[in-house]
Amino acid sequence: MKKNDLILIIVILALTAISVVGITVSRKMNKADVAYAVVTIDGNEYGRYPLDEDMVTTIELEDGSYNILEIHDGYAQISEASCRDQICVNHFPVHYSKEMIVCLPNRLIVEIVGGEENDVDGATN
Amino acid sequence: MKRLKIASVILIIFLIIFIWAVHSGRLFSDKADDSGEQIKYTATFMDIFDTRTEILGYANNEEEFSNQAELIKDRLVFYNNLYDIYNDYDGINNIKTINDNAGIAPVQVDEEIINLLKFSKDMYELTDGKVNIAMGSVLSIWHEYREYGSENPDRASLPTMDELKEANQHTNIENMIIDEKAKTVYLTDPEMSLDVGSTGKGYAVQRVMEYCREKGMDNILLSLGGNISGLGTRIDGTPFRIAIQNPDLTSTEPYIEKVDISDGQCVVSSGDYQRYYVVDDKVYCHIINPDTLYPAETFAAVSILTDDSGKADALSTAIYNMSLEEGMDFVNGLEGVEAMWVYHDGSKVYSEHFEESIVK
Amino acid sequence: MKTRRIAFLGLLIALAFVLSYVEFLLPLSIGIPGAKIGLANLVVMVALYTIGNKNAFLLSLVRVILVGLTFGNLAMMIYSMAGAMLSFLVMIIAKRTKLFSITGVSVLGGVFHNVGQILVAMFVLDTASLIYYLPFLIVIGTISGIVIGIISGMITARVGRLFDIK
Repeated sequence: MKKNDLILIIVILALTAISVVGITVSRKMNKADVAYAVVTIDGNEYGRYPLDEDMVTTIELEDGSYNILEIHDGYAQISEASCRDQICVNHFPVHYSKEMIVCLPNRLIVEIVGGEENDVDGATN
Repeated sequence: MKRLKIASVILIIFLIIFIWAVHSGRLFSDKADDSGEQIKYTATFMDIFDTRTEILGYANNEEEFSNQAELIKDRLVFYNNLYDIYNDYDGINNIKTINDNAGIAPVQVDEEIINLLKFSKDMYELTDGKVNIAMGSVLSIWHEYREYGSENPDRASLPTMDELKEANQHTNIENMIIDEKAKTVYLTDPEMSLDVGSTGKGYAVQRVMEYCREKGMDNILLSLGGNISGLGTRIDGTPFRIAIQNPDLTSTEPYIEKVDISDGQCVVSSGDYQRYYVVDDKVYCHIINPDTLYPAETFAAVSILTDDSGKADALSTAIYNMSLEEGMDFVNGLEGVEAMWVYHDGSKVYSEHFEESIVK
Repeated sequence: MKTRRIAFLGLLIALAFVLSYVEFLLPLSIGIPGAKIGLANLVVMVALYTIGNKNAFLLSLVRVILVGLTFGNLAMMIYSMAGAMLSFLVMIIAKRTKLFSITGVSVLGGVFHNVGQILVAMFVLDTASLIYYLPFLIVIGTISGIVIGIISGMITARVGRLFDIK
């Protein structure tokens, strides 16, 4: 073995170690930071919206019915909908990972993916 | 040369140890899916009991969990079809079949229908008639007015008392004749019909959880439209934590209380925020008091905590229909049943031991 | 001389083929796609230092095709072809620069074999997250590269004299 070989090995291992640390740290930070409101219609993903940007969008369905999704201060809610039971509109704004708002008539689900974990496993309704 | 040999031997040993460490998950354990650590999964179905079903469980991988969830779903669909009062299913005699044959003929049904009806009758007796599945004739009137009123809010109206009283002539649960040997159910009064809305969902959840336990499943939380039932605990041994929804839907606080449930415990809430319609700015909910034939309105919500989901479902309806004093005496007289009442102003009243389950 | 060279090349191909088979038999699946100790690289190293770049390249190419056809499928063949070609290229460059001994060249070969495989896998499977495996593959590549480098150094020291065909 030459001296250069040793240097090469050490450099490779050091670079790898640094990148592992970097990846782990960035992953951890991503986990805490990036939360999305994922909208699915009839089981198919319609779109995902980051919770850290305030916005309003109208989700229109083929049959003309609609739900208006609002994101505000990290919370997502349905502010208006064409469904007649209005359960989705009355639902509290969702924020924690895995929380969801369901609109049965329009077969639409807004689910939070990523973001803070809630300590609650289920909720009555 | 000798030094090289020693170096190689050391390196080979190091390589073997490294591979073994990665393999056994001791290194980079978050990479290894099958290292024995179970991951939390949830599944949501929208098409059972006209409500939202949520299954929370733990498994080594997604496939394992979805197999488990499918098993549970299949059982729920089975009960959904049996306990349906609005739809027919090919080759199945369900509660609607019984209603359609009221005054005509006894209907042969699955044992699980007989079990539910017997259970519902027990609940009728236990609650002194506050839960009556033979009230279908009255409930369907309210159902029609509510459906029409939700669709046409400007023309929403209330049923007349005469109409309700007339229907109430046909709500005698004794006219439901169960023949356990022949496995038939017969409604002797042709005007009578069954509505298992207050017991069906809860009973189904209870039976499905018993089924899961028999199958050796563990650490499962099942929520069927807010009928929540736990099997075991979270995977780490801590209890499942259930939030009780705030009946004030306009509030920024989504939950009014959080409770920890032990193995086999269930939480069910009944309230006027769930299904209702509005006539002249007044809310009329879906829970009808058998005594007044009108929606109960004393409380915004009532929650029951007990170890049988069917019982929890029935009792939450019953207590919602009672006054606080009546309900308090009733609950404190029952073993292992706790309740929380929520008034419209948000104030809460607890039964004797309810507070022991509350998360501080 | 030409016959000798061909015979020696054939011998080495057979040896590489056998070593690939041995590696295929070893239950070393460690849950990381593409992680291999690369026993066959031992033969490629020896070839590189005894019968020259061109022949070593031929050996490497034939080995990958043979092993792919025999034990694997097309996808596996594409991955290992990418790994083999990239690592060979890097090894030749490293050898040319004369900066490293056979061990250093072998280490680079091992590392880039894994890098090449995972890059192609990322492209084929369209899964960028595979890159998270790269550090572990590099570590494995480095260690096996060292071992293989030392062993092939010992072999060339002996065999090189016997088969002096350059």
